[in-house]
Amino acid sequence: MNALWTILRKELLDAFRDRRMVLVAFVVMPLAIPLVLAGTNALSARKQAQQLEGPLRLPVVGAEHAPNLVTWLGTHNVAVLAPPADVDAAVRRQEYEVVLRIGEQYGADWRAGRPAHVEMVFDSSRPLDSGMAVSRVRGLLDGYSDTVGTLRLVARGIHPSVASPLQVGIRDVASPAARFDLSQQILPYLLLLLAFIGGMQLAIDSTAGERERQSLEPLLATPVARETIISAKILATSAFSLLSLAVTLIAYRLAFAVVPSGGIDSSFAVGPGGLLQLFVTILPIVLLGATLLTALAAFARSYREAQGYLPLLMFLPMIPTLVLMVSPVRTQLWMLAVPFLGQNQLILRVLRSEPITALEWAVNLGAAFAVVGVVWFVAARLYHREQLATSG
Amino acid sequence: MIQVEDVHKSFASPTGRVQAVAGVSFTARDGQVTGLLGPNGAGKTTTLRMLYTLMRPESGRVLVDGIDPALEPAQVRARLGVLPDARGIYKRLSARENIEYFGRLQGLDASLIEQRTGRLVDALGMHDFIDRRAEGFSQGQRTKTAIARALVHDPRNVLLDEPTNGLDVMTTRSLRGFLLALRDEGRCVLLSSHIMQEVAQLCDRIVVIARGRVAADGTPDELRAATGCTNLEDAFVKAIGTDEGLFA
Repeated sequence: MNALWTILRKELLDAFRDRRMVLVAFVVMPLAIPLVLAGTNALSARKQAQQLEGPLRLPVVGAEHAPNLVTWLGTHNVAVLAPPADVDAAVRRQEYEVVLRIGEQYGADWRAGRPAHVEMVFDSSRPLDSGMAVSRVRGLLDGYSDTVGTLRLVARGIHPSVASPLQVGIRDVASPAARFDLSQQILPYLLLLLAFIGGMQLAIDSTAGERERQSLEPLLATPVARETIISAKILATSAFSLLSLAVTLIAYRLAFAVVPSGGIDSSFAVGPGGLLQLFVTILPIVLLGATLLTALAAFARSYREAQGYLPLLMFLPMIPTLVLMVSPVRTQLWMLAVPFLGQNQLILRVLRSEPITALEWAVNLGAAFAVVGVVWFVAARLYHREQLATSG
Repeated sequence: MIQVEDVHKSFASPTGRVQAVAGVSFTARDGQVTGLLGPNGAGKTTTLRMLYTLMRPESGRVLVDGIDPALEPAQVRARLGVLPDARGIYKRLSARENIEYFGRLQGLDASLIEQRTGRLVDALGMHDFIDRRAEGFSQGQRTKTAIARALVHDPRNVLLDEPTNGLDVMTTRSLRGFLLALRDEGRCVLLSSHIMQEVAQLCDRIVVIARGRVAADGTPDELRAATGCTNLEDAFVKAIGTDEGLFA
């Protein structure tokens, strides 16, 4: 126990004297990640506001066939433009989000009381760019159609409600905390990734690096058991990444307080209880990352080889996020036992202020710590290899 | 006391197995400096590594103060002070912190560590760099720090792999005096070297190793007598069978 504490303290001291490592963990990460996220958030909020409320640029083909419609659009915050020569190509090139085409038959059909044909041209493969404009134009056209239809019914002495057999109301049951924005959808992945590989520098430095600097051999010649040595290094890595994670989270919270988000509620609205839950959820991932990195670094022949495994590891916490993006499913109990997937679900639920049962906690934490135990065992076995201290 | 009894060790290499040690036996007694002399690649470092439990012998056994490292590795490591071939001190720690770290790992308390460190600093002449960070230390400063670190727990047995490697003449001289003082305190000092002059000046007993085997074992006088050479250098060459690598 004494030796464990001695090694743990020395590794942390060593790490905190490494200016580059400290700079990355406590300045670059806490600055870069929240600023990028908050910036993206502010940007998307501004774009959304612009697309919702700014004048809509709408080229119209055949505007002369429907002067009333065009005038009406003009009074509804639409800037009607002259159409481009090749409409389809212009939309594909993203010069315009949507183009309206009015047929030559429009005037004749309108006067005869037949449905007059208008056509919206847009690219559905770019829903993020054009979705807002398309739904605005569709809403305007529907509104125009309804208004004129109602007037026609009234002119014929029929009550307009005859043509509306259904009245659809909307009630959204989402809690306010659950209506979070883009950046908070990324937050679970961000937390998991940081927790998982936040200590990578220290893990590699204290194992592969120690071997490369040839200080591992004298260390192994002391009476301290190798299990103790590797456990101390894992704990040092965990402590370092937890600290880095905490600083990043605080910076994240501050960034959202400072960067204007344009009316969208982007508060990271978890209280002390929620923070504790987040901490408990993330803790096994921190340990898992530290253990896995230490095992890999013990297995790798050099610092550079150990770093070569990193992209692979960075991909692991991404998998559940990708799976959930493609097929969002209802949480089932077994999912909480799957590393990363379970944590991802729990983080989401903590952020949405949803209750988590004791059974769910037990399944999640039990499975996570079991995985940590297995990886620790493998790492300790690797640390007993003769090649550990001598090759490299 | 250190006993080595017919140990063997081989390694896998791309071209097949390499027999690094093929039946080495010798005894290093307390109150003596024993030198393992041999050309580079003779198996000296591997033999020492089996003594400080970094490697296990494939056959044969080693004993440190009568204890088998295969059975009680922690006991053996507590009785050894080891200066490995690679000095490997922590660059971001000062020399004092390096020594203190190993003192704690050996289970010593702070006051004892301070007292021992003071003695070693005096004996090795480390006053002008003891509180400096090891980044940028000279080879001699690194070696002194590594030796102090290896001896902070006051071990009965001292293993040194090529202790004078890369040191200048003055540092070598003072280190030699230090090792003789360790011997006079009744410790068992075992060092390896490929430099004949050094072994000849320092060692009470010489074990000549070549190609993983003991080629000769005895006091310098015994070696001269056994080979029929009056010159020690000729005796070594005759014992090894070649002068290749001996004076590198």
